Amino acid sequence: MAGIVKNIRALSKQTNYLRSFATRSLAVGVNNKINRPQQSLVKSTLFLTSTQPMQSRFYSPEVTKSKPTEQEIKDRVLKVCSSYDKVTADKLKLESHFINDLGLDSLDHVEVIMAIEDEFGFEIPDQDAEKLLRPADIVRYVADKEDIYD
Amino acid sequence: MSHRKQVIDLYKTLLHLGKEYPSGYEYFRSRLHNAFMKNKDVTDSEKIEKMIGHGQYIVKEVEALYMLKKYRTLKRRYYRDNQ
Repeated sequence: MAGIVKNIRALSKQTNYLRSFATRSLAVGVNNKINRPQQSLVKSTLFLTSTQPMQSRFYSPEVTKSKPTEQEIKDRVLKVCSSYDKVTADKLKLESHFINDLGLDSLDHVEVIMAIEDEFGFEIPDQDAEKLLRPADIVRYVADKEDIYD
Repeated sequence: MSHRKQVIDLYKTLLHLGKEYPSGYEYFRSRLHNAFMKNKDVTDSEKIEKMIGHGQYIVKEVEALYMLKKYRTLKRRYYRDNQ
């Protein structure tokens, strides 16, 4: 008799442990089996140890986030460019040149690039930034950074 | 490092520092932009060096301003009635 009590105690300990990991249905199944006679208890412990409980994993958002599509990048780049106060929104197209078409000076260009850095969350080195003179260039650069192939 | 690169680097640094400027980012940005544009035609390399030096001095000043602001805020919290 004492042996049975010990077994049950050990099992209930285990169920507590399992409940923290296992899915709800598995935990409920174990609870039902506690009330049955001893031979089924042995079976249920065997059953439990042979199947590993499923543990849900928590990845960092960097890993799980989906890649933006090219269209999304285009929209975001244009949004950032048009929110810069010296850019007139109706003149802004993907192919318009910041300095020649939109009338910005090189300092404004630096500011636009900084805004893009803030939007996409990575740093653009100066020598690359000099070459990004049209929104289309920025879109391509960001897409390369995010590993999107068209 | 070429002068152009140095100047752009300086501009970026100052712009970044200006984000917390007491009288507002817009104020700081327009002033900064004007200050840089005023000297855009300078070609003498010695003069440019001097102005970059001045810009770096301004960076230090703005940093000092922020530290002073922080110090004063903390002090105000410790001594409520400005002793």
